Amino acid sequence: MPAVLTVDPRSGVPIYLQIIDQVKRSVALGVLAPGEQLPTVKQLALDLTVNPNTVAKAYRELERDEIIETSPGRGSFVRGNGTAQSAYAAASDVTAETLAQAVREARSIGLRPAQVRELFEAALARWFPEEQ
Amino acid sequence: MSITIEHLTKRYGSFAAVDDVSIDIPSGCVFGLLGPNGAGKTTTFKCMLGMAASTSGSVAFDGLPLAPKTFEKLAYVPERSALWEWMTAGEHLEMQRRAFSRYNPNRASELMQLFQLDPRKRVGKMSKGMRTALSVVLAFSIEPELLVLDEPTSGLDPVNQRSVLKLMIDASAQGSTIVFSSHQIGQVERAADHLAVLKQGKVVLAGAVDDLKRDSKIVEGIFESESVALNGLAGDPRVSRVERTGRIIRFTVSEGSDAVAAELSRMGAQSVRVVDLNLEDIFLNAVDPAGAAADVVESR
Repeated sequence: MPAVLTVDPRSGVPIYLQIIDQVKRSVALGVLAPGEQLPTVKQLALDLTVNPNTVAKAYRELERDEIIETSPGRGSFVRGNGTAQSAYAAASDVTAETLAQAVREARSIGLRPAQVRELFEAALARWFPEEQ
Repeated sequence: MSITIEHLTKRYGSFAAVDDVSIDIPSGCVFGLLGPNGAGKTTTFKCMLGMAASTSGSVAFDGLPLAPKTFEKLAYVPERSALWEWMTAGEHLEMQRRAFSRYNPNRASELMQLFQLDPRKRVGKMSKGMRTALSVVLAFSIEPELLVLDEPTSGLDPVNQRSVLKLMIDASAQGSTIVFSSHQIGQVERAADHLAVLKQGKVVLAGAVDDLKRDSKIVEGIFESESVALNGLAGDPRVSRVERTGRIIRFTVSEGSDAVAAELSRMGAQSVRVVDLNLEDIFLNAVDPAGAAADVVESR
């Protein structure tokens, strides 16, 4: 795996969540290709200087989210046999989280659902002009 | 090797250095013990390993009391190095070889090289950092199942501090259980998956690092007026601190931030914000609930 992962242990976001987010983004972008092998738990823990159980936890959740698969004795791999299945799953997960955060924030500063929907449509129109 | 500490107390006269401490250390974890100076970290380690008699309470290793056999699988790096001034580093390694059947000479020489220690050098001529490094080498050279390290990076430069963290991570990946104390929250934040915070001999915070970070938040509500009744929130056990500044009310919560945020919305807050806390914020809040959160909020 390319050395793309970095974590900020001083952040309030748990380290395992930082690893999950970065692996998902890398898979969505194809930086991590389907079938590509991830470092072992021990190797990644040493590279990042973080607790190995934390890395193992991130891997378990990535497996549960069907982004990676682990075969005993061989290691962990990005899922998908030639299809873009894992990349799609990863991209949806990352986007769902970003949208949830935006909507939560909109609500917290007093917007109504209809207003949020209007803003969302405007954003779609802006970033997908060819499909309008 | 799991460790279960139950109601451990160590009194010196009327002073309780360790006061009814109960800690569960799961097998295979890296456990960080944090606390201000004099909080009882070293005394806890000494009582745990039978080097000081506890006044009451119990400690079990894999469910059993400390036995001579336990010591074969255990390495301890004391806060003040227990090295002999007149002996060389190599002679210390030789003592380790004679005392522990698990001693691995290849591992020992790798570690000596890692910290650039000369086996011919006498401890009396070593700096504080070199002594710490030698203590660490001795501990890891027996490839123990349980490592107890009291301030294992004191006096070390940043490069060697990182080496010690990596050794702990490596040993943990091989299945060893590691318990260490540190002043540096950043080290605990990286290497530990479980922690306890001691203050004046008592446990004021304990848990899995990820859970503490995930659950500890500041929930901030902005209201239209300054006179908002807090309903039950002020006495809510999830809320460790409440601050009011004009129309802004901030709650420091140990869990349930979503529920508290929803409650603030129901109370008519115009805006509700949930802010993550890092381990330093959580630590300060635990050892100094009166002063900490204010600084935390100001510094954001």
